[in-house]
Amino acid sequence: MFVVRPVELTDIDALETMAAVTMPGVHTLPKTREKIAASVERSIASFAAHVDIPSEESYLFVLEQTATRAIVGTAAIFASAGSNGTYFSFRNDVIQQVSRDLNISHSVHALTLCSELTAYSQLSGFYLQNRSTAGLEAGLLSRARLLFAVLAPHRFGDRFFVPLAGVTDKNGQSPFWEALGRKFFKMDFLDAERVIGGARNRTLIVELMPHYPVYVPLLPGDAQAVMGQIHSDGELAFSLLTEEGFEADDYIDIFDGGPILQAHKHALRTFGGSMVRSVVPAETGRSRSPDPMVTYAVAASSEQNFRAITVACPAAEGGETLSLPQDAQDALMVAPGDHVICVRI
Amino acid sequence: MLVVRAIHASDLDALIELAHQVGSGMTTLKPDRKMLGDRVAIAVASFAGAIPPEQRDYMFVMEDTTCGRLAGVCAIKGAVGLDEPFYNYRIGTLVHSSRELDVFTRMDTLYLSNDLTGATELCSLFLHPDYRSGNNGKWLSKSRFLFIAQFPKLFTEKLIAEMRGYQEEDGSSPFYEGLGRHFFKMDFNHVDHLTAMGKKSFIAELMPRQPMYVAYLPDDAQAVIGKVHTSTAPARRLLEQEGMHFEGYVDIFDAGPVLQARVSELRAMRDSTLAIVDRCAASLDTEPLLVSSTSLDDFRMIVSYANPVDGKLCLTDAEMALLNCASGDQVRTLPLNVRKNVHVEAL
Repeated sequence: MFVVRPVELTDIDALETMAAVTMPGVHTLPKTREKIAASVERSIASFAAHVDIPSEESYLFVLEQTATRAIVGTAAIFASAGSNGTYFSFRNDVIQQVSRDLNISHSVHALTLCSELTAYSQLSGFYLQNRSTAGLEAGLLSRARLLFAVLAPHRFGDRFFVPLAGVTDKNGQSPFWEALGRKFFKMDFLDAERVIGGARNRTLIVELMPHYPVYVPLLPGDAQAVMGQIHSDGELAFSLLTEEGFEADDYIDIFDGGPILQAHKHALRTFGGSMVRSVVPAETGRSRSPDPMVTYAVAASSEQNFRAITVACPAAEGGETLSLPQDAQDALMVAPGDHVICVRI
Repeated sequence: MLVVRAIHASDLDALIELAHQVGSGMTTLKPDRKMLGDRVAIAVASFAGAIPPEQRDYMFVMEDTTCGRLAGVCAIKGAVGLDEPFYNYRIGTLVHSSRELDVFTRMDTLYLSNDLTGATELCSLFLHPDYRSGNNGKWLSKSRFLFIAQFPKLFTEKLIAEMRGYQEEDGSSPFYEGLGRHFFKMDFNHVDHLTAMGKKSFIAELMPRQPMYVAYLPDDAQAVIGKVHTSTAPARRLLEQEGMHFEGYVDIFDAGPVLQARVSELRAMRDSTLAIVDRCAASLDTEPLLVSSTSLDDFRMIVSYANPVDGKLCLTDAEMALLNCASGDQVRTLPLNVRKNVHVEAL
């Protein structure tokens, strides 16, 4: 069984080991022990914080295999993407060019540097070991963050987005960066990501990046081709997020042109389809219900002691209760009568 | 004998014939009777002072008096961009700098502008191939400066001339291929044709309205910004000798440079002088001198080898006939060539 829970100080060693093997193209995980420790401490402080308006909080979750207590994945959510700055992205604009006199009408695609995503909450740092063989725990890890947001809506914005890594070649070169960012930053893509720490809310972005629309037809073909395209490592995350209700196409990353998926929370399945139920013990043996089993992502309904698992149990849509086996109750640290939040997975 | 003079209504047929020689590339001189007829009518009204200065279009012809043929034509438009928008790109600079990263990036930027609206324009210069010898080309081009020096009040302070932009041998424009084509989706020749039809501003409506970084353009397009067509290079030098210079405005289609000057800073304003005509047997062997009459409605100009002395200029009977003037009349003179000044040369 897998459980998603807030990161703890004791996880730092495991996170450091995991960071050592992540590949280029994933810039969202801190690499050094110092930075890992800082992000863990920041997460612990965020969970403990009393929040009125979402701001600099960032919540880091880990995926733990309960049998071995091994950490096999991470996922994060930032309360407000801009944090104490402004989150920059390129908005995909279509400009209509019309001349009635010449009977010409066509549209031109342009990218405009914008800060519209600043107040959105940002999903980030999704990383899973063995992603090629991962089962339901991948969906659980991705979705647990949103379950937490359902439980604690005041900690997050009404809209969410997720930037996914764009296309880079095996040398870490990004065709989109070569055509655009390099002209302004005068450095390699990976060097730029390193100096900026993968952030998109730094003042130096507005100092260096173009303020005027970038007319897409003027970009070289290879740069146009990778706009909105994901790095192959991001396919799992992409399919999980689009199933959840996130939409691509409106924004892309200013560095590598990767897609930025976004949605209003009401468009997300976790918000629309989650239910609060009270826990009852699952019947065992002969008395077990003949109903078909349904798999749910279930989270303990507690902000301060958040835990989420997947579990198969009888459909809970028609009743007030959710039947949980003992091991599931243990993993969630709940007892019969406690409330949980669940959503079909 | 050649004379440059204000155009007359009776020159229309000869002008159309001359326009047939022009070929593509010059958008304001197409052999179209309606277009040229309208233009000549405006020119005649301009010299007659019958229309307001900003609507005027002074057209000059070079006439071969021995056969009555027109050898060339040139014009000064009183003001551009007052009927329909006059578009250029202004090359500007944007600096992107981050102290934190120690990055300082200076970017050339193209701004679509109407900045030159209202400026006086030198345009429509064409010399028939049969007459491209001696000083004729220089004379025809520079005749306009002497006219301006004689009548500076008729013009705005800003003078401009659009120069034909760089083209490949096959007639294609690297700048157009790198930029305009993406927005117009038509061939350069077609755009050129529409421009000649007076539809340039319609085309400009299809241009991106926002400033554009030059660095986005392909290298060959970047390289020709502000470069003239190879055949236009001598014409550019002539205008530069007279005080015009490139100030960062280029054509929106082929990126040809716009040369600019303040009227008060023209060589003709500084160096041209008035003189009284005196009959004389033969010209002295000296430097070529532009000599013009001083009347607006019968403006005429010759190249003489006379030398003004003490405010008097010796002209032959033939020269006076070409200028339609007599002894005692006032003329304006300007050395055709820039003075061989050692100090200037050294610069």
